[in-house]
Amino acid sequence: MTPQSKALNAALLCSALAFSSAAYAQEIKIGFNGDLSASPSAQSGQAGVLGIQAAIEDINAAGGVLGRKLTLVVRDDLSQPPKSIQNMSDLIDNEKVVAVLGPTNSGNALAWKHIPNQKKNPSIGCIGSATDITKPMSASADNYMYRVSMVDRAQVAGLIAYAKSNPKTKNVGFLVETTGYGQGGLKDLQELAEAKGLKPIATEKFGVNDTDMTSQLNKLKAAGVDTVLVWAQGTPIGQLVRSMEKINYFPVTLTSWSSDNASFYDTAGKNLAEKPVFMRTITEDRTPKQQQLYDRLAPKMTSKSAFSFAAHCYDALMITAAAIKQAGGTEGAKMREALENLQAPVEGIMKTYTKPFSATEHEALTASDYRWTVWKDGRLVSYTDDVVKALKPSDFTQ
Amino acid sequence: MLDVYLQTLLSGLAVGGVYALIALGFSITFTTTKTLNFAQGEFISFGAFIGVTMLLLLSGLASTTTAVPSEAASAWRYPAAVIGAGAVAGFMGILIFLLAVKPFAGKGGMNWVMSTLGFGVMLQSLGLAIWGPAPVMVPSPLGDNVLRIAGAGVRPQELLVLACAILIMVALDLVMRRSRIGKAMMAVAHSPQTASLMGINVNLVMIGAFALSSGLAGVAGVLIAPIASASLFMGMGFALKAFSGAIIGGLNNPRGCIYGGFILGVLESGIGLWQAQWREIVVFGLIILVLAIRPAGLFGQAAVDKV
Repeated sequence: MTPQSKALNAALLCSALAFSSAAYAQEIKIGFNGDLSASPSAQSGQAGVLGIQAAIEDINAAGGVLGRKLTLVVRDDLSQPPKSIQNMSDLIDNEKVVAVLGPTNSGNALAWKHIPNQKKNPSIGCIGSATDITKPMSASADNYMYRVSMVDRAQVAGLIAYAKSNPKTKNVGFLVETTGYGQGGLKDLQELAEAKGLKPIATEKFGVNDTDMTSQLNKLKAAGVDTVLVWAQGTPIGQLVRSMEKINYFPVTLTSWSSDNASFYDTAGKNLAEKPVFMRTITEDRTPKQQQLYDRLAPKMTSKSAFSFAAHCYDALMITAAAIKQAGGTEGAKMREALENLQAPVEGIMKTYTKPFSATEHEALTASDYRWTVWKDGRLVSYTDDVVKALKPSDFTQ
Repeated sequence: MLDVYLQTLLSGLAVGGVYALIALGFSITFTTTKTLNFAQGEFISFGAFIGVTMLLLLSGLASTTTAVPSEAASAWRYPAAVIGAGAVAGFMGILIFLLAVKPFAGKGGMNWVMSTLGFGVMLQSLGLAIWGPAPVMVPSPLGDNVLRIAGAGVRPQELLVLACAILIMVALDLVMRRSRIGKAMMAVAHSPQTASLMGINVNLVMIGAFALSSGLAGVAGVLIAPIASASLFMGMGFALKAFSGAIIGGLNNPRGCIYGGFILGVLESGIGLWQAQWREIVVFGLIILVLAIRPAGLFGQAAVDKV
């Protein structure tokens, strides 16, 4: 290397550094922390990131927020709580992100929800559905955990309302898996059933890896159960409907939204997959806005049924951007105030959000935004019958 | 009520067949080398995915991300995939013996426990890198329609697993008791030193035992895949239950291991009729009980130390 070229290189390097740090100062960083590779739910995380990226593209194309561009910093937590906690500190302290979206697994959000609260850095969940994620740390504390996704307890309220209003339902049974997810669901089921005056006559459990649930089903059958409320993951629900076929016992089957997973559909097979009725936020009868985003992301999406997470995460980013705009900056406490009192409506993929959050309400999507869903010919379609038509919003109270 | 009990028995035997097949693998290495392959669960998962890959390659069909098309398993392709997975897993079994067991076998200490566990973790990570974390549904070659036997329902694949488990058990029993190879294996199990003095290649017999046991795990993987769907996490649960079955039946008695597997399957299904959530407690409680009363298992021979 000649001295001249050395000097030239140095000069180039200096100007490049100066340029990048100037850009750095102007950009607003948003974080994503969630599983992108390690567990079956990684597909949901990947779809979520696609949604956030699409939203950032749209905002930047329209000139950014407060004249500054948005960028996304992505961290994979491999579905492990310790890694997820470490990612949170890394994103907030080192990367200086102004808000974190995600995570993929509810358990990880529960493991680190104290961090956004301590550091006053808003977290907007757009995938995980565990009820407790958005609960404040203590009754009067400021709460930095928000969500644009489904909530387990609201789904349970929907299932209970359906069973309660169905004139054909005489005897209700609960069927749950023995994991934390299943047990959490059972707690919600029991509490809400009691509040609504619905008495289950049997409760049965099964393992997440079980391949035969005929014994449990035979007990429900003997007890005369005509409607089962199921809380489990996709694959075991698939095994459950297969076991129903073995003993030729098909009660009305209302399940957690995990029946929308491809793993449920593949396990159950085309015909049996059409048995359960469940709630989710998007069916394949999409609104024009949803279709537009779907067409844009479809080539990059590994799982079609994960599209709902792309839409939730798109909206979560839009709401975050609106909060930054209203707060006039990225200071955490001001963002929280703005989030809880958004003045302008936010145009999203799911709906137009008018004051999505308040000091007490941290869920942007509630039961009235959910759709009753079934599988039909390999597609997730909207479901309706006389019971669904007769349900009123007041039936969904929790 | 009779059909309920018949259903419980059939469902239990179907699951028990899977346990029995894997339990047999544990017994084979234990009787010849006095070591166990704790990577057996990962061999099952790995075998299942070798089977998935072979079905797709042989049929030339593309897989969706989560299911193998049902035409891919028709005719000769499924048996070919079973044999292929058995062969690949058997080869991996030779590797695990040479790399992770042989250096420690016959010596004091439990180093082989850690090294076989480690081999399993490596196998799982390798599988995740190749096939990803999502479960893949595998079609059954016999179709998916429920067969009715006196009011109880069972799927053709479950009967196939049951038939294979019994067939393999009988074949192995004959080989072990009637052929020179089997007698050589039993001699090595009894005393490697004496067997070696009698002109038996002890090393080769031990390699063979690991290849056979791992091959069985691979075969089991492809057989279970249409029931449980292939996943890299599926093997662990089955292997733990199969090991429990082997302990109940008696690790040093291959026939006992098979019985143990079936007993466990029927027991689990029977407990489901009572209180399914107590299943694991009852199963492992029973293991402790068996170990306390008959330390060598229900069908095992008590080891007599002669001095």
